[in-house]
Amino acid sequence: MNDRAEEPSRLIENLAGRAISLELGSLDLCFVAALRLRLRTGEATSFSEHELVDAFRDVCALTQPEATGVARRATAAIQRLRDQRLLSRVDGAGVVRSGAYALTRLATSIVDFYLEEEALTGESLTLLLRTLHASLLELREQARSATTPRECAERVVGPLRVTVRDLVDGIERRQRGLDLQQERFQQEIGSLLAADWFDAVARCQDLLETTTTTLRELNDVLLRDAHTLVGLLEDIRELAHERGAIEVDDACRRLSEQLDRIAAWGSARQHTWSEYYQYVHRYLRDVVRLDPTRALTERLRAELGGKAGRSYSLVIAAQPPLVVPRDVTPPRERPPLERPRAEREKPLEEAPPDERAEALTASVQAVLAGGARTLSSVTGAVVSPLPEAERFSTAGRVAEIAARLAKAQSARERPWTRADDGIWIEEWSLTPTANEA
Amino acid sequence: MSASKFVTLGDAVLDEHFPLVDLALRRGRHIDRDDAEWFGFLRDAEDVLEPFYRRYGAELVYRADGYYYLLPSGDKIAKRQLGVAEMLVGQALTLLYLDPANVEQGGRVTREQLLAHLATVMGTDALIVALNPKRRKYDERVAQETVRARVADALRRLATLGFVEALGGEDFKLRPALMRFAEPVRASADSTEALSRLVASGEVAFAPAQTEASDQPEGDEAEERRDEPEPTNAEATAALDTSDFEDFGFEDVEAGTELKETDAAGVLE
Repeated sequence: MNDRAEEPSRLIENLAGRAISLELGSLDLCFVAALRLRLRTGEATSFSEHELVDAFRDVCALTQPEATGVARRATAAIQRLRDQRLLSRVDGAGVVRSGAYALTRLATSIVDFYLEEEALTGESLTLLLRTLHASLLELREQARSATTPRECAERVVGPLRVTVRDLVDGIERRQRGLDLQQERFQQEIGSLLAADWFDAVARCQDLLETTTTTLRELNDVLLRDAHTLVGLLEDIRELAHERGAIEVDDACRRLSEQLDRIAAWGSARQHTWSEYYQYVHRYLRDVVRLDPTRALTERLRAELGGKAGRSYSLVIAAQPPLVVPRDVTPPRERPPLERPRAEREKPLEEAPPDERAEALTASVQAVLAGGARTLSSVTGAVVSPLPEAERFSTAGRVAEIAARLAKAQSARERPWTRADDGIWIEEWSLTPTANEA
Repeated sequence: MSASKFVTLGDAVLDEHFPLVDLALRRGRHIDRDDAEWFGFLRDAEDVLEPFYRRYGAELVYRADGYYYLLPSGDKIAKRQLGVAEMLVGQALTLLYLDPANVEQGGRVTREQLLAHLATVMGTDALIVALNPKRRKYDERVAQETVRARVADALRRLATLGFVEALGGEDFKLRPALMRFAEPVRASADSTEALSRLVASGEVAFAPAQTEASDQPEGDEAEERRDEPEPTNAEATAALDTSDFEDFGFEDVEAGTELKETDAAGVLE
């Protein structure tokens, strides 16, 4: 259930894909309501086909007394309810005998919305919060006495997800009921004033006071208890965490968020209602009481409609904004353009002498003195100790030094020979010069 | 009247709210209980502020409907008269304020509601004529657009003056200061006596007698000037541009005024 709740977009896509829809007329709703009321008053948990038709006939007699073909319409209504999964067959007898039917959860939820006036009151909220408090205390003890993660999860997570969640859901449901009630009161105040004007003042004030008192009580209770309940949830979460039952985290977090939402609802509604309360009170005092016959409206309407006398216009103060001069800041003097002054000669730096050329010459000379008589043998002997990256570039210099230190000769067709890994050179024979020898 | 919290004018002037409240009052702002802090300050300081503003030739007025405003009577603080559109819109808003149908929404109305109400009470043609003065020929679509623009502009100005509160978008909250628009008809159906009294006290001014249309500038420029009256002082009031008010005459435009038929291009014959 939690996983599904975390993916609302997937759920909505799924619903849209299944083309979920409900089409219920007033008659169908009344029919479902009649069945729901019969279930409440009677002992039966399902209806036979005959009972369904009877119920529909009664509803028709009340709502559409002139209707004809009631049995045929009942059959169609039952089929509509079955198609929309509001009525399900529960006997499983198929064609063997006529069926037994029951209202589905969907049907009872819809009709309960219209039948039940579950608005939140000071008493109901106090009772629900007290029960919630007792349940959480019990769960905290269970979490404390659990020794293993599994034991802790079994004792705590289940009740948190079912019992406690149901209680909190109950509070939220009643909050929505109270929202609806407020909306009705606002409509009623408007209607009362439109119908009775001055005579409606007392009744309007009663409605205002009733709701104001209820909201104040609710907000006081919520402010007092929500903090304690969230604290208890935090205790349970910590105890479960110590025992390694991590799944309790998620359930506690969700309930905490729900409780925060409930508390925020209380203060938000009280604030909104307070504004409305002030407006209506002001209206009753300044408009209704001072104009009991609504003559002012008629006179003003005549004025605006152009039926009054000479035109006029209101006079108001219209002092222009004060002139505040800007602070004067003297302009900054720009310095004349000039060439940047810098040392043209860079100072000399000491650097170690580069003696690589001399070392290479000495090395070639040593190899030649060692008896090497071909360029490949000299090159191979000189470059092989060097790092691989330097060998190729050094091979050229070796040839140049060798040609300088010895007499180099080659055949007309110069043969290519390998001097080192990856270095191929034209072969020369080297004869030491007289000086060298 | 509540016991004054401020014993001397100096105490009131030193209060943190004084500069803003003073500037707002001088700019024609009406302050009611919805401006909780400013209203509270004025309640506490009215005993010392009344003589203070009297020295400027102005009166700090408190109405039983629950709002304050500054009414200049001398020449030290500039004043102006509301324009045609502002008066029409103000009176329509007052009707909406008095209408119990708006109590359900806590006095919140939309611009569309206001336009519909104006059109119902005045008649569409009379409304167009009142807000499109000087135009003998007009295209219906353009004229209606002008009405909408004028009404929106008037609403914005009335919000600045504290008659309504802009709630964002198209919504406005009606405020008690709107009852100022009902003052001339408050006492009796015959507004003549009340008007004379209000004119004498400087609360309202009669629109100047209508002048010949040919004397007035034509076109959008003239209309723009007409609907945006400039602040004036007492001397300048005498030399007011009469075009500001020449078309603000309900007796001139009957609700049932029939306009001439337009041709295919929407131009009057």
